[in-house]
Amino acid sequence: MFKLNLKIALRNLFKNKIYAAINIGGLAIGLTAFVLMLLYINHEESYDTWDSALKNVYQIRERHSFFTPDNKEHLQESNESRVGSLIRHKVPQVIAVTKVDPDWDFRTGYSVRVGNADPITVNRMKDSDSSFFHVFKYRFLQGSESNALIAPKSVVLKQSLAKKIFGEGNVLGKVIKVAVWQGDKGMDLTVTGVVEDPQTPETAGFTAIMRTGNKDKDPVNPTNNNYCQVYARVNEGTDPELLNQTLKRVYTDYKKSTAPLKKIEYKSYFADGKYLQLKAIPLAEVHGNRPFELSWLEKLKPVIAICVFLLLVSIINFVNMATAQSVQRAKEVGVKKVMGAYKQQLIAQFLLECALQSIVALFLSVILIEVLLPSFNTQFHVDLSFWHNPHLFNMLLQLFGLFTLVTLLAGFYPAWILSNYDPASVLKGNYSGSLKGIILRNVLVVFQFIISVTFIIAISVMHLQTSYLNNKDLGFERSNLINIRAGYDQDLADKIKRIPGVQYVATTTQVMGNAFNVPEEIQYNGNKISLNTVTISMDALSALGVKLLKGRVFSREYKQDTINTVVLNEAAAKLIDKNPVGKSYKIADEHKMLNFQIIGVIKDYHNEGFDKEVLPTLYKVTTLGGTSSTNNLIVRLNSDKNAAIIEKIKAEWKHNYPDFLMEYTTLDSAFDKVLENNKRFISMIVLFSIVSVSLSLLGLFALSTFVAKRRTKEIAMRKILGASNIQIVGLLNKTFLVLVIIANLISWPVAYIVVKKWLNGFAYRIDLPLYPFFLATVVSIIIAVLTVSIQARRAALANPVKALKYE
Amino acid sequence: MIQLTNIEKYYANKGVKNYVLRLVTTTINQGEFVSIMGPSGAGKSTLLNIIGMLEEPTYGTYNFLGEDVTSLNERKRIELYRNHIGFVFQAYHLIDEMTVYENIEAPLLYKKVGSSERASRIADLLDRFNIVAKKDLFPNQLSGGQQQLVGIARALAAQPSIILADEPTGNLQSAQAEEIMALFKKLNQEDGITIIQVTHSEKNAQYGNRILHIADGIVKEDVAVIA
Ligand SMILES: Nc1ncnc2c1ncn2[C@@H]1O[C@H](COP(=O)(O)OP(=O)(O)O)[C@@H](O)[C@H]1O
Ligand SMILES: [Mg+2]
Repeated sequence: MFKLNLKIALRNLFKNKIYAAINIGGLAIGLTAFVLMLLYINHEESYDTWDSALKNVYQIRERHSFFTPDNKEHLQESNESRVGSLIRHKVPQVIAVTKVDPDWDFRTGYSVRVGNADPITVNRMKDSDSSFFHVFKYRFLQGSESNALIAPKSVVLKQSLAKKIFGEGNVLGKVIKVAVWQGDKGMDLTVTGVVEDPQTPETAGFTAIMRTGNKDKDPVNPTNNNYCQVYARVNEGTDPELLNQTLKRVYTDYKKSTAPLKKIEYKSYFADGKYLQLKAIPLAEVHGNRPFELSWLEKLKPVIAICVFLLLVSIINFVNMATAQSVQRAKEVGVKKVMGAYKQQLIAQFLLECALQSIVALFLSVILIEVLLPSFNTQFHVDLSFWHNPHLFNMLLQLFGLFTLVTLLAGFYPAWILSNYDPASVLKGNYSGSLKGIILRNVLVVFQFIISVTFIIAISVMHLQTSYLNNKDLGFERSNLINIRAGYDQDLADKIKRIPGVQYVATTTQVMGNAFNVPEEIQYNGNKISLNTVTISMDALSALGVKLLKGRVFSREYKQDTINTVVLNEAAAKLIDKNPVGKSYKIADEHKMLNFQIIGVIKDYHNEGFDKEVLPTLYKVTTLGGTSSTNNLIVRLNSDKNAAIIEKIKAEWKHNYPDFLMEYTTLDSAFDKVLENNKRFISMIVLFSIVSVSLSLLGLFALSTFVAKRRTKEIAMRKILGASNIQIVGLLNKTFLVLVIIANLISWPVAYIVVKKWLNGFAYRIDLPLYPFFLATVVSIIIAVLTVSIQARRAALANPVKALKYE
Repeated sequence: MIQLTNIEKYYANKGVKNYVLRLVTTTINQGEFVSIMGPSGAGKSTLLNIIGMLEEPTYGTYNFLGEDVTSLNERKRIELYRNHIGFVFQAYHLIDEMTVYENIEAPLLYKKVGSSERASRIADLLDRFNIVAKKDLFPNQLSGGQQQLVGIARALAAQPSIILADEPTGNLQSAQAEEIMALFKKLNQEDGITIIQVTHSEKNAQYGNRILHIADGIVKEDVAVIA
């Protein structure tokens, strides 16, 4: 029976080749998107799962206000370094504790030299202590866990890095020189181990773990703090609840006892609603729950929604086609029923047919995935694979689940409709029962078009917003500007300045790609106002090419500019005074008040993503009131031979810093990077929209074919009665047109809400225009009419006599 | 074998009952070959459908093989289809996606007949109906008469005790029709299969041994055919 049903299913597929192809192809595309998403989710879920012993590892998070974007207290991944030894000694459940560097956002890497070879840049080399590999279990290919970091000035390499530096072979005992910044003469570290690259991604990922000795000790002076990440391994079977209670008690005691040493009142830890908190987060939960960023799941939600919609669209095609086709199968059902088939047997038969198509679609989608993965990986900066997936079995299980789900979703309704046919009426030639499916079919078509129209509206709005951002005046000149990743060094700056074609060399803590915000409270006319402070060198504002609105910018001609002058941006000026130039404000410094004079106002310039507003900011050259610095050496070029000039700058650099490779970005690429996430999101939406719209149209095409076929006799009769071809095309279009219009009406508010929400993510955005809505409606109607008309025309042109005779 | 008592069938339309069958009472015995005749719209097909349990009467009782089947649950009805009743249709109603062989095989599959038994029964039927050469063809590759032969072979495959045929020769030319009628007669006489057919042709009716004349839903005449 199964064999016969399978045969019939195959014959049916071949008989309706085009529709089968549309069905299967559409489903394959829907599945592909969905499976890619599953792969991605699996990848994110697989973080920190490379060893079962990791379930006993916790990340320690401390609540404090250092390095926070809003200058308020948060539970953070970086801890004061003393927390490490505190929990090592005071928390009984803890077996091992390690302190390790966090991932720096802005520093791309350290320079590594072997002997006299040219330095290479290596990312994610982290300084830690002797316990790192007691906390995180890795498989040692060379050396051993117990001996590797036993001595200071040692380093353990990942296999991949060892290969990159030394190639194959034994590397134990070899020495690498690691320089951390450009002036660093470097430290010699002896390789004492090589560990295998784990199969799954790691939160505390690294290319090499160094033990320089810095993490072995805490600052001697109790008022000085170092910050680092802290991870702890606990006893098997430790209750996380109890662990956190112990942490809380130990931490409170610690803060109480150290407050006098730090010259801080213990009470002040609780001022303004603040409180003390030290928390152990199971490693498995760390990746999905990073401070200061949306969890990957949150970020992925729109994509998940889109993938689900896409899959739904293709399933809807499937259902529509199958129910439309059921007219043709009615006789079969009737005959089989009088031959003694149970209803369940018929349902099983139709589900089998559906399963056959889904399995083909699934195979196609696996092929598609293999083809698409490389570009998917580059798009999303991941390294996913299907066949070499460490969780292949799991994946196959998910695919099987998906297959079952799709088969049931797509197959059950048609199977149920079909198996319910009343044999008496079917065999009498009275197929009116098949109209039962029509309402559902129409609802599904409407649903498909809602999705498609919403997509069309969304991409046109996104397109408008993107071109708005691309052409937005940034407030500074981004072309011909480069940013070298280095601290300001007067000697090097002077040398670069002398290269012909270099106009300015400067430093600033705030430039697109690397902005460092330092909040400061000023007092102006008795009002306290919080501003962002940016420390710059004399030429920085000129180098950036910002627009001056009032007063002047800094200049060497004015001695005072190195003493107590500041420039405000427009946002800051708005907070202070309409006409602030020439006026002064104070800030409180330990014992006295410091006085600053405002000499100019510049137009706000952008230095972060467009999701954030430009902060009210003051710029100063003077060291009065403290300074800050980051690795931004900005160079303004004013020739058209940038590449040659950059080569010259590199030569000067190499002369000054032979141990460290020069790295730079152009501000153009920094700008692209700011827009990158957005761009990626949009190109994905565009892709999905195209797929979704074409799937819907294919579905509509197939459906209109069936409808035309079902109405062959009616059409023939009308023609004999004198209807013109156009009237007949119109007749067939009418039904579908109504559906498309209903879909448009529903999708307008839906799209409005979705798009509005997306736009709200930008601090700088266009007003939501109306014409994308009309555009989507017009486009959807035109393509729907075209699609249906192709079929309708064929039906209209057919010879009516043939159709009538056939009956 | 079949006992119909006061069978009525009507369709209610806007409160008005449109009677299709009225107080039909008749008995059909094992081994009879009955032809139902009457003008178009008289209710012949409806009567046959009620006998075949494809439709339920609105009123009356129906005994099949001594069992009251007036309103039967689906499972029981399917059992009867599998073991006792074979249908033959005017439009043949072969399954287009199945070959001749598979069409004949299908009821045996539902009946769960073992595969060797199946093969021998089908071979036998193909042989008997002279369609061995056609066994791998699809219905649309056969003439109408050949299709109807397959239809009958399919009805016989499950070895039913009764065959219900609604205008089995309605779409056929007279030569082919005669062949089918002869076949029915042979089945009736040699195999003792009860046959009830609807026909318009007096000539076809002569192949059987009893004629029910129906008009306006009423059995007007019930006559024996004198051979
Ligand atoms: N589902 C139905 N609804 C209403 N009337 C019906 C239905 N099916 C059949 N009829 C009516 O019943 C009468 C008998 O039909 P039928 O038994 O098919 O006649 P025939 O003797 O030609 O086979 C016809 O007048 C037909 O219009
Ligand atoms: Mg009839």
